Amino acid sequence: MTILPSDRVAVSRASRFRRDRLRVGGSLGTGSFWRPLTVVSLGIIVLWCLLAAFAPWVAPYDPLETVGDNLQPPSGAHWMGTDDLGRDVLSRLIWGSRLSLPLAVAIVACSLLVGGIVGLAAGYFGKAVDNVAMRLADLVLAFPQIILAMAVAAAFGPSVGNAVLALVIVSWPLYARIIRSSVLSVREQEYVVAGRMLGLPTLRSIVKDVIPNSAGPALVMSTIELGNAILMLAALSFLGLGPRPPAAEWGAMIALGSQNLGNWWVSLFPGLAILTIVMAFNLLGDAIQDHLDPRSRNARTR
Amino acid sequence: MRSLTAKLAVPAGAVALTLALAGCAGGNSTSNAGDQTLTVDTSFVVKTLDPGTVYEQTGNIAVHALYDTLVTYEGSDVTTLQPELAESWEQSSDGTTWTFTLRDDAVFSDGAAVTAEDAVFSLNRLKNLQGSASQTVQGLDFAAEGDDTVVVTSETPNPDVPVILAMPAASVLNSAEAKKLGATDAEDAATSDQIGTQLDTASLGSGPYVLKSYDPSTKIVLTANPKYWGEQPAYSRVVIQNVDVQNQKLTISKAKGDEIALDLSGPQAAELSDDLQVSGVADTSYFLSLNQDPAVSAVTSNPAFVKALRLTVDGEGLAKLFGEGATPAAGLVPPAFAGALDESENPVQDLDGAKKLLADAGLSDVKVALVYPAITYRGVDLGTIVTKVQQDAKKAGIEIELTPQPINVFLQSQSEGKNEINFSPNSLNYPASSSLVNNMAPGASTSLRTGWTLERADQSAIDASNAVTAELTPEGRNEAMIEWQHVMNEVSPYIALANNAGIVVATSDLTGADYTPAGWTVDLAAIAGK
Repeated sequence: MTILPSDRVAVSRASRFRRDRLRVGGSLGTGSFWRPLTVVSLGIIVLWCLLAAFAPWVAPYDPLETVGDNLQPPSGAHWMGTDDLGRDVLSRLIWGSRLSLPLAVAIVACSLLVGGIVGLAAGYFGKAVDNVAMRLADLVLAFPQIILAMAVAAAFGPSVGNAVLALVIVSWPLYARIIRSSVLSVREQEYVVAGRMLGLPTLRSIVKDVIPNSAGPALVMSTIELGNAILMLAALSFLGLGPRPPAAEWGAMIALGSQNLGNWWVSLFPGLAILTIVMAFNLLGDAIQDHLDPRSRNARTR
Repeated sequence: MRSLTAKLAVPAGAVALTLALAGCAGGNSTSNAGDQTLTVDTSFVVKTLDPGTVYEQTGNIAVHALYDTLVTYEGSDVTTLQPELAESWEQSSDGTTWTFTLRDDAVFSDGAAVTAEDAVFSLNRLKNLQGSASQTVQGLDFAAEGDDTVVVTSETPNPDVPVILAMPAASVLNSAEAKKLGATDAEDAATSDQIGTQLDTASLGSGPYVLKSYDPSTKIVLTANPKYWGEQPAYSRVVIQNVDVQNQKLTISKAKGDEIALDLSGPQAAELSDDLQVSGVADTSYFLSLNQDPAVSAVTSNPAFVKALRLTVDGEGLAKLFGEGATPAAGLVPPAFAGALDESENPVQDLDGAKKLLADAGLSDVKVALVYPAITYRGVDLGTIVTKVQQDAKKAGIEIELTPQPINVFLQSQSEGKNEINFSPNSLNYPASSSLVNNMAPGASTSLRTGWTLERADQSAIDASNAVTAELTPEGRNEAMIEWQHVMNEVSPYIALANNAGIVVATSDLTGADYTPAGWTVDLAAIAGK
């Protein structure tokens, strides 16, 4: 079986999340977390979130309307040029963040929810439930993620909802596995056993004792996965399986420009947008992971 | 200098022209094209160089240079047939028989004379091999009368016979040599023909070139046929090399001379330096078909909606998206072919008229789905085109939802006839505009997929379609196509949007590098140094 980064996070972190809930927030104040790269990453993420939130006021033009001549290179009027239909690339880029960011969050949240429920059930109940759930997860993980997502999206037809659904289908097992391994160790802890022996019903035991103490690693994982979700969504729409045209979506914008690389600005700027946000999420995820797990940080900096 | 933009000449163009002419003068003094090599850059689509089975673009280019047909076209003109192996041809008064008289001086590359027997053997073989091109000659019978007369008969009058016989697939083989290699024209040729790939190593034609070497992944080399019966081609050697589209632009931009590129798209060609020549002819039409079945859509089957949507089309704007050589569509026949409407008839966008039509018909806040193949055709993303259609329709209050589909899914859904609006490119199989009537008349194949049955069609469309098929001569049919298109623009569920051009780009030292919609893209033997 493949060893995933999620396993590493889960195994190494399981013991730290004991009764103390998520210590992430509490300990971020200490020096080691706020390294320059982390600050820059956070800055980039905040910037993109602001752009997305205020797109109608920030974007100079309507992203769907023809506002200039076709394929104008970057100029004073159009900072990032115009595309094949004379739409302003900068405006489309800014509005694109309104699709990519919320959708990435939705993908991760849905995957976390589905994977979380499956992982909890598998870890807490064990035996047959565990076997069935984990073999199902293995089945999904056996396919290359993007190929499976393409197949699912192509089968359902291109639309925003189907692209999200396809990506949830391919990414829930990551969370299921990570949560399962946390739960496996948490459920053996004395306080959980004690609670059960005091007559706590199963559901209350899960909600009160298990979830708070096993969610940490999955939340770290989801930060890293936010970047991945943006990338996969862009890949799907690059292939024409994402939001329907004329939606301003970064992957679709790159696809449009790739027909003729002479018009470099059509593809380059959305490419840079994806690069910055995905890298920011990855660096932030790494920083959080390093902070929570000094062993892996040492391994990296050594 | 670009032939296409010549009519838009501006002072800057005049300067470029002068420079180009100066450059040519220099070129002439240093070289003699006779012992030179012409390089052809194209993205290979080739399976075979056997005329009986050739169908793909690259194969057609080479076969047209290696073999001769009874009749042919010159340059980019596909409105007038020219003699090749046949010096004259005539149609019987009932329209069912065509008689071709062969010239007596044509010889194959081994010196043997070209006879009517060779032509009949080749055409029967094409028909019986059941390849992709065979379909166009089904229903035709070929017979030789003496050495120099070929008689083609069909059950129903077929004015398109000479047009079909100009296809590269209708090339004449040296039948004696071909038979030695195992070729046969028997009715079971599809299974009994034993020639295999032998025509990929040596050609058996009477064309200006003979095959030197063939590698379907890298290059095809042709050398001049020393026994060619006509005028020797200017270039003694032609190398057709496999270059992908993105690299063609780079290669042709850096070429010093004697080079042409065949697959650049209109937008790419528009960006080339003025030192290169661009030849293009608008030969592919793009159109919408609106489903006329009320069970599929109450909106698109409403004639008022069809008219309103037609009025929202911005032909000029769409043509601009296709780039160099593209034109707005006046009718369903692209301007490259005889029977096309004059450009003075190009429709004008009328948003107010469209709004009024919709309001009068009680159609408000209409929303329709447009399905299109998610592909790039001739370098243009079809999504860009339909987005423009969507933008324009929205200005008149029509909401169009775009639904891209992978090409195989699209073809499937199109044939099921359940889509509200389809969008697709349309090219003619052979350059006779009346062939459109076979597919697009009420109740014909394409029409049935859009629910346009004989019952639902306006009588005028049925009459106009019958008027075309009633004509027995090519001239008569082309004439009737004009009226047919007028009627189709009024009552058909087809909305022609724009025509896209095929393009040949050549270095400035060449003449005769003209794009042709006839099927062979460019006539290699006609290319010469200036």
